[in-house]
Amino acid sequence: MVLEKKEIEEYLEIMYRKKQKGEEITTTGIADELSVSPASVSEMFKKLEKRGFVKLVPYKGVTLTKKGEEAGKSILRKHHLLEDFLTLFGLGRRRAHAEACALEHALSKEGEKVFERAMKGAKGKNAKSLCSLRAGQKGRILYITGGMAARRRMIELGLPPGTVVKVLRISQYGCPIELLVRGTEIAIGRGIAEKIYVEVIE
Amino acid sequence: MTELTIALAGNPNVGKSVVFNQLTGGSQHVGNWPGKTVEKFEGKLNFIGRNIRIVDLPGTYSLSAFSQEEEITRDFIKKEKPDIVIDIVDAASLEQSLFLTLQLLELDANVVIALNMIDVAKEKGREIDAKMLSRLLGVPVVPTIATQGKGIENLMIQSINITGRRKKKERKRFPRDVSKRYEYIHSIVKKCQKETAVGRTLTERLDSVLLHKYAGYLFLIAVLLLMFFFIFELGDVTSGYIEQVVYYFKQNIPPEISSNGLFLFLWKSVVEGIVAGLTVAIPYLIPFYIFLAILEDSGYLPRIAFLTDGLMHKMGLHGKAFIPLFLGYGCSVPACIGCRIMETEEQQFLTAFLATMIPCAARSVIILGVVGAFLGFGWAAGIYLFNILVVFLLGFILSRFIITKPVGLIMSMPSYKMPDISAILRRTFLQVKHYIFIAFPIIILSTFAINALDFFGFLRYISDFLSPITVGLLGLPSIIGITLIVGFLRKELAVVLLAALVGTENFSEVLTPLQMIVFTIVSMFYIPCAATIATLVKEFGWKKATLVTVFEIVLAIALGTVASKVISAIGVL
Repeated sequence: MVLEKKEIEEYLEIMYRKKQKGEEITTTGIADELSVSPASVSEMFKKLEKRGFVKLVPYKGVTLTKKGEEAGKSILRKHHLLEDFLTLFGLGRRRAHAEACALEHALSKEGEKVFERAMKGAKGKNAKSLCSLRAGQKGRILYITGGMAARRRMIELGLPPGTVVKVLRISQYGCPIELLVRGTEIAIGRGIAEKIYVEVIE
Repeated sequence: MTELTIALAGNPNVGKSVVFNQLTGGSQHVGNWPGKTVEKFEGKLNFIGRNIRIVDLPGTYSLSAFSQEEEITRDFIKKEKPDIVIDIVDAASLEQSLFLTLQLLELDANVVIALNMIDVAKEKGREIDAKMLSRLLGVPVVPTIATQGKGIENLMIQSINITGRRKKKERKRFPRDVSKRYEYIHSIVKKCQKETAVGRTLTERLDSVLLHKYAGYLFLIAVLLLMFFFIFELGDVTSGYIEQVVYYFKQNIPPEISSNGLFLFLWKSVVEGIVAGLTVAIPYLIPFYIFLAILEDSGYLPRIAFLTDGLMHKMGLHGKAFIPLFLGYGCSVPACIGCRIMETEEQQFLTAFLATMIPCAARSVIILGVVGAFLGFGWAAGIYLFNILVVFLLGFILSRFIITKPVGLIMSMPSYKMPDISAILRRTFLQVKHYIFIAFPIIILSTFAINALDFFGFLRYISDFLSPITVGLLGLPSIIGITLIVGFLRKELAVVLLAALVGTENFSEVLTPLQMIVFTIVSMFYIPCAATIATLVKEFGWKKATLVTVFEIVLAIALGTVASKVISAIGVL
C-alpha cells in the first residue's frame, strides 16, 4: 500500500508536469519517462481512473481530472519546496532534486507548513525582496517563490538562483524595475520582483 | 537539386525580421501557423543556383513550449527538420542569447549562428571573437550587421556549405541543471568576448530621458497623441476619399438603372459591404501596422510597457496591454490585432475583450453627436469616464476568470535601433492582404444579410420583436431597435439612421435627455461592429468571438437598464 501511494504520486507528478507543458499524456510517453513497460503504465492508468484521478482516452492515454490535477500540483509543490530548502542550505541542485524526489512522498500537509516556516525564518536574515533594492544596488538571487510558470520564465531569461543582478532603474511606482543581468537589460514587473529574494552584495 | 529549407530562430528583438527581409526581399508570404494565432512568414530565395525556402520562426527565449511561440519553434525544428537553422544571436547580449542556442543544438539541428548587431555590441564595449565562439560551439559563426546588409551573403555561403558536408555528429549534451548551464555559457562568453569600459551608450542616454519619471511620461503622451493623430487623421482622409469615389461612381450610373429596386439592393448589400470594409478597416489598419512596427523595431515598445505596467496591473494585465487598449479609442480592429504583443493567448484575449468596449471613433460620433450636442460637454465627458470605469472593473473581474496562469511583466530592454522602413512597409502590405482575405467575406456577408432583411421589410418585425427590451427595459422608442441592428455594420450609422428614421437631426424633439443617455450607453457597449467581430474571429476563432458578442449585448442591455432606472430615480435629468 505504501509503495503504491508513492507510485501513484510519482505518476501524478509527471502527468501534471506534462499537462503544464501542454503535452498530451500518452501511455508510451509515461512509459519512456519512468522506464517501465507500456503495459504496466496502462494498468496503472486503470487504477488511477478508478480513484478518479484521470479519465481514459482510448488508444491515446489519459487526461487529468480536477482531482488528479490538484494532487499532482500538491506533490510538485512539495517537491519544489524541498528542493529549494535543500539548495538553500547548500546542497547542489542536482542532489537536492534527487533527494526531494524521495522525500516528497513522505511529507504531510503539516510537515510542508513546517518547512515553509523554516524557509521563511532562514531566509529572513539577509534575504530581501528584489523590490526593496535601490537603483544602483547589486544583489545575488537566493531563491524564487511562487508559481511554476513565472519561475521557469525567469530561469529562461537568465535569473536562476545564484545570479548576480544589478538594479538599473526603478519606475516611479516602485516597480517595474530594470535590471542588468549577464550584460543584458531586462525589465520585470512588481508581481515577479516580489517573488525574487536576494542578498545585497553591493 | 532539391529545395533547401532554412529556418530563422532567435530571441525577440535581435533583428530577425530584418535578416528575413534581407534574404527574401519581395517574395514573402504570410499565413498563420496551423491552429495558432501567431503569424507565419515564409519567403523564397535563389542563391547561387539553389532554391531556398526561408521560414521565419517566432522570436523566443527558449524552447520549453511555455508560450505558443516556443511551441511553434520547437515543433517546427523537431518535426519538419529544416536543413539549416540560422540562430540569430544578439552580439550585445551574447550570454542571454546562447541559452536558446544550446537548446537548438540539443535538438540536433544544423545550426549556423548569425552574430548580429556587432555594431551595437561595439558601442557597449564588447568585442566577440567569432572564430573562437565557432570553435567552442562546433558550428559556423558569421558576424553580421543585418540593418546594413553586412555579412548576409557570407551567412548564406556558410549555411549552404554545412549542408554539403553533413556528417553524423554525436548528439550535443550540455549541463541539464539551469545554474550549471548558465555557468557553462558564462565560461564560453568569457573565452570569446573582450569587454572594454565605455562611456554611456546612446541607449542609456536616451533611456535617462525616455524612462524619466516625468519627462518619460510626457514623451509617451506625445508619442501616443502623434500615433493617434497619424492613424486616425490619415485614416479619415483616406476613408473620405474612398467614399467620394464610390459616390461619384454611383452618380454616374443612368437613373433608369439606379432607381431599379434590385439594383439598389445589390448595390447596398455588395458594394456598400465592400465600401464599409474599405472605409472602416483598411484606412486605419495600414497606418496602424506601420506605426506599431516602428514602435516595435525601434525598441520603444518595451519602454511603454515599462512606464504603464503599474496601471495595467490593476486590470489583471501588464504594461504591454496599454497599447491595444489605447488604440481602442480609434478603432477596435487594430486594437484587437495589437493584442498580439501579449505573451499568452489568455492575455491576448482579455486585452482584446476589453479593447472592444473602449469607444472607438465611430462610437465617439454617437457620444458627441447625441449626448455632447444636446446635453453638453459635461455629460459626454461623464459617459467617457463611465466607460473607463466599466472597462477597468470588468478587467479586474474578468481577469480572475480568464487568466489561469498570470504572467507578470518580464521582457528584455533592447537597445534603440533605427527601424528599417522598407522592411516595415513590406510586412504591412502582407499583413493587410492577409486581413482582407479573412475579414472581408464576413463583413460583406453581414451587410448582405442586413440589407436583405431591410429589403423584405423584416427590420420592422425585428424591432417590434425587440421592443420588450428597447421599450420595456430601456425605455427607448421602438424605432431605436432598427438603428441598433444597423449599427452592427458601422456604429456611427446608428446616428445617421436615427436621424433618417425620425426625420430630424434635432434629436431633442424625439428623445428625452434620459433616452439620449441610455441610447448612447447601449450603443457604446452593445456589440462590436462587423469588422471587429471579423477580426476577433480571425484572431481567436468563432467561439470566443461569439462569447464576446453575446456578453457585450447582455452587458449593454444591463447597463442601459440600470442607467435608465438610476438616473430617473435620482431625477437629475
